[in-house]
Amino acid sequence: MRKVALVGAGVSKFGVRKATYRDLIWEAGKACFDSVPGVRPKDLDGLVVGSVMPERTAFQSHISSLAAEALGIRPSTLSARTEHMCASGTVGIRYAYAFIAAGLADLVMVLGVEKLNQPQGEEAILNMGTGVDREWEAAFGLTAPPCFALAAQRHMAEYGTTEQHFGLVGVKNHTHASKNPNAHFQKGATLDQVLGSRMIASPLRLFMCSPITDGAAAVIVASEERARALTDRPVWIRGTGQALDGFQLTSLHEDYAHWPALKRAGEAAYRMAGLEPKDVDVAEVHDCFAIAEIIAYEELGFCKKGEGGAFVEAGRSDYGGDVVVNPRGGLMGCGHPLGATGVAQAAEVWAQLRGEAGARQVPDAAVGVTHNNSGMGEHVVMIYGRE
Amino acid sequence: MTLKSFFEGARDGRLTAVRCTACGGLAIPPKEFCPACGKRGWQAAPLSGSGTIASYTVIRVAPRKFAPEAPYALAQVRLAEGVSILGRIVDVPLDRLAIGLAVKFHPLVRGDQTGIAFGPA
Repeated sequence: MRKVALVGAGVSKFGVRKATYRDLIWEAGKACFDSVPGVRPKDLDGLVVGSVMPERTAFQSHISSLAAEALGIRPSTLSARTEHMCASGTVGIRYAYAFIAAGLADLVMVLGVEKLNQPQGEEAILNMGTGVDREWEAAFGLTAPPCFALAAQRHMAEYGTTEQHFGLVGVKNHTHASKNPNAHFQKGATLDQVLGSRMIASPLRLFMCSPITDGAAAVIVASEERARALTDRPVWIRGTGQALDGFQLTSLHEDYAHWPALKRAGEAAYRMAGLEPKDVDVAEVHDCFAIAEIIAYEELGFCKKGEGGAFVEAGRSDYGGDVVVNPRGGLMGCGHPLGATGVAQAAEVWAQLRGEAGARQVPDAAVGVTHNNSGMGEHVVMIYGRE
Repeated sequence: MTLKSFFEGARDGRLTAVRCTACGGLAIPPKEFCPACGKRGWQAAPLSGSGTIASYTVIRVAPRKFAPEAPYALAQVRLAEGVSILGRIVDVPLDRLAIGLAVKFHPLVRGDQTGIAFGPA
């Protein structure tokens, strides 16, 4: 297999945007092309677009072709859309990786885009309900927050994890987001604010949840030959893993405090990269809810099972700790425009590993991980490394 | 066992799993292929309806259709036969909810719709 690298990346402003679906594509696409002056749209031979529900939110399907035309790309080797709920973006990066590694493509943009906010706020909540099982979950009034709340309650009961631990994840990620001009929330948050925020589904409060956000992100993925011609600082894809335990909650591991699929996805990626958890300098993990970040620390091997709460409390997932987790502000601070999230995670790691992350820079970051999930039982992990 | 027959039984107060005729594995809700052995042969397996709460949450911000009912509780219930299912919790004060609390199947019937729910044991 050929080596594959990220050579460019760009992110739109995330938030409640007065922008159309196509505006968001333009914004992220332009930012991405601006990051790598040697690439013109017609130089790309492929495009993959991660997007979950434009049929509902923008009354639009046929997404990859729309985006290609909007950005002046003429795919000759690969054109596709990926839909894998919240992990759609990273699943798209894996497609581009596989095509390039196999020699079927050379230079591919992966773009994630989602326009979630609707004139009626309730419609956005209703739309999010398409991500859980219609007949067995949504029918009970189950949406995403309660799923993760069930995991949080188990984690508290088994390991003594506290509401304060969840609150500290919220504080950390909102604080990180305050240094990210593209984040949805940029005011930071104190522990009192987080623990005093509205209860959504116990024990998860508003500031422990990611918001409904519009946004887009793009990266350019290249073969080794193209990467070396385009930049002196390619960010190599060194490992990747994906694993599924199931779709319905009842198909998952009996104990929701354990996410074996994430452990397997992480182990596959580490094995492929020849790296270990202790080698990771920076990680973008899927903190759709605070509990998810705590379980990610554990299943990705940053700490032992059950110690995720203590890990954040001791500052080990922040600057100066073992691994800086979610320097861009995570899903909680940046927002979670589904298909865009995984691509924005990759864009952050790309900037971090090139030393271009500005106020958010993790000193001398050499190895970065991204973790994107779609529900508690489906996980995708990528490992990136600089030269 | 079809979805229709599952819910018709539930409506009458009977919670029914399916048992694989090849390996004996038990599954709920009904499935097409056995998660354990992959075979496709099932027999209906009536359950006692008794179980304990494995995890729960109280939903305070609910989708529009359920908003008038909030706050309401939802739980993962581990049934006496060893399988788990999600359901609403009814007739249990929210401050009495706890992991390990014994509960009993209690269909939630609204017009022509039947939901899975559990009430006091």
